[in-house]
Amino acid sequence: MLKYVGKRLIWMIPIVLGVAILVFVMMTFCPGRPEQIILGATATEAELAAKRLELGLDDPFLIRLGRYMSDVFIHFDLGKSWLTNVDIMSSIWERLPRTLMLTVATLLISVGVGVPLGVIAAIKQNKWQDSLCMVLALVGVAVPNFWLALLLVLQFSVKLEWLPALGIGTGLAGIKYYILPAISGSTGGLANCARQTRSAMLDVIRADYITTARSKGVPERDVIIKHALKNSLIPIITVMGTMFGQFLGGAMIIETIFSIPGMGTYIIGAVNSRDYPIVQGGSIFLAITFSFCMLIVDLLYAMVDPRIKAQYASQKKRRKVKVNA
Amino acid sequence: MPKTIEKAKKQSEFVRIIKQMSKNKMAMLGLAILSAEIILAILSPYIIPYDYSHMDMVNTFAKPSFQHPFGCDDMGRDIFSRILYGARYSISIGIIAVGIGTFFGCTIGATAGYFGGQVDNVIMRFLDVIQAIPGMLLMIVISAVLGPGYFNTIIALSIGSISGMARLLRAQMLKERENEYIEAAQSINCSKFRIIVSHLLPNCISPMIVSATMGVAQTITVAAGLSFIGLGVQPPTPEWGAMLSAARQFIRQAPHLVYFPGLAIAVTVLALNLLGDGLRDALDPKLKN
Repeated sequence: MLKYVGKRLIWMIPIVLGVAILVFVMMTFCPGRPEQIILGATATEAELAAKRLELGLDDPFLIRLGRYMSDVFIHFDLGKSWLTNVDIMSSIWERLPRTLMLTVATLLISVGVGVPLGVIAAIKQNKWQDSLCMVLALVGVAVPNFWLALLLVLQFSVKLEWLPALGIGTGLAGIKYYILPAISGSTGGLANCARQTRSAMLDVIRADYITTARSKGVPERDVIIKHALKNSLIPIITVMGTMFGQFLGGAMIIETIFSIPGMGTYIIGAVNSRDYPIVQGGSIFLAITFSFCMLIVDLLYAMVDPRIKAQYASQKKRRKVKVNA
Repeated sequence: MPKTIEKAKKQSEFVRIIKQMSKNKMAMLGLAILSAEIILAILSPYIIPYDYSHMDMVNTFAKPSFQHPFGCDDMGRDIFSRILYGARYSISIGIIAVGIGTFFGCTIGATAGYFGGQVDNVIMRFLDVIQAIPGMLLMIVISAVLGPGYFNTIIALSIGSISGMARLLRAQMLKERENEYIEAAQSINCSKFRIIVSHLLPNCISPMIVSATMGVAQTITVAAGLSFIGLGVQPPTPEWGAMLSAARQFIRQAPHLVYFPGLAIAVTVLALNLLGDGLRDALDPKLKN
């Protein structure tokens, strides 16, 4: 198991390097001259030239790439913002907790509502409860989250004035700022969770060991939760993991609507103001986080399913296939 | 002679799928909604009651009425006309982007899946790198490089969908190429191109069709999202996401500006998902329990 984790961690290095190179290359093709963006439209030609020299922009591409790589991966320095001259790494550490908070809240709603819905749908297969849950799931996938966000703001902030429409708060009072963003961000994941749970539950619910459990008099609640649900966890974890990773990067629109100063607004703001080092650094940071999420998902598989754990431990060949896939 | 047999068999397979689909009421509902939308979008210049860009300052923020079924926006433009005309942008972005993504995805996936070995390794490692960037972020970065606009949005979205498609086809190919009929084709010296295109692809295409249908739905949402944050199609264009984005600042005075473009996106995505579910059930009987 440890060997597997180590292997995966080592494998992350070339991926992250690749991401860094890819993002760097894309950013060099961005429109606009960096020195002009930094100094503004009023700068003279001489000032611009001096800035170019200072930033080393006249150096060959490979040298600039090498310099950036050594800054990022040897000195762990993502550089400074062109516009505000603030260190990017410290900005990220300041903003990350808010994005994490939003992501966790979203995930809690998706799983907390989606899994029970899926379980109910599976137990009451082909009854009205099932249809209702599945219609909810279909609608949940179809409704764009930024639209739902606007509707929720309209209802709960503008009309009822129950919840704040934007910004963040401090301490316990800050929680209410996350309620609307988390609800509007959760619909897609919630619907996915419900559908996956339902189909996974339907797969196991007719298995012999469920009949056995029932026939030896295990209460129905325990049959469903301890026997059936536990064995349908794998697809649910997959959904959660991808959602968590995607949401770290995909909460951008939700963060923008609710003006939450998290990672998303940071990067989008940088894209709009052409502050490319932030886009570069933010992307690399998010890619690393995303890769870690995927690793954790794979480890969770092993935790809930002893069969997968056994695969890691013994058959080398299988592991190889798993890594390559 | 063999050709006619092949043709007859293909037809019956096609007929079987159509029959299977037509039994599925939800899928048919999705297909009906989608066809209606596409027809309305194509005909929109001739049937919309007002010009989509016609400003009428008397009717600024007009509430829905008989003259303006969905009301008017901040410039007095008829929202109903704009949504019908905007369907051209929103739906075409989805279809074209997924089309391009599927084409390149298929090419890359087929190459990796058929040749295997080092080729496969290089391609897959490159896709690993691309997939390590969360999807939305990747598209935002590409949009940043290319700048906003209709065609640039399509390019950004299609690049975003390539890797998923390539992976899917590769996995199918790996399974399929072990079959005897491929060995038979190789032994009579069939060209590699021919083996891939006329022997392997038809047997791997079902999951691609399903995934492309679902992909169009997702792409429409993402495109609207990109426009919403100002990176996709720009506001005077009646693209649904851009309309929502423009409506956002008037949410207090005129909430009806927000309702209809979002509803249009939701209905389209719902229809595509229903169709995709139906297609999956019809194309892949194994998946149906």
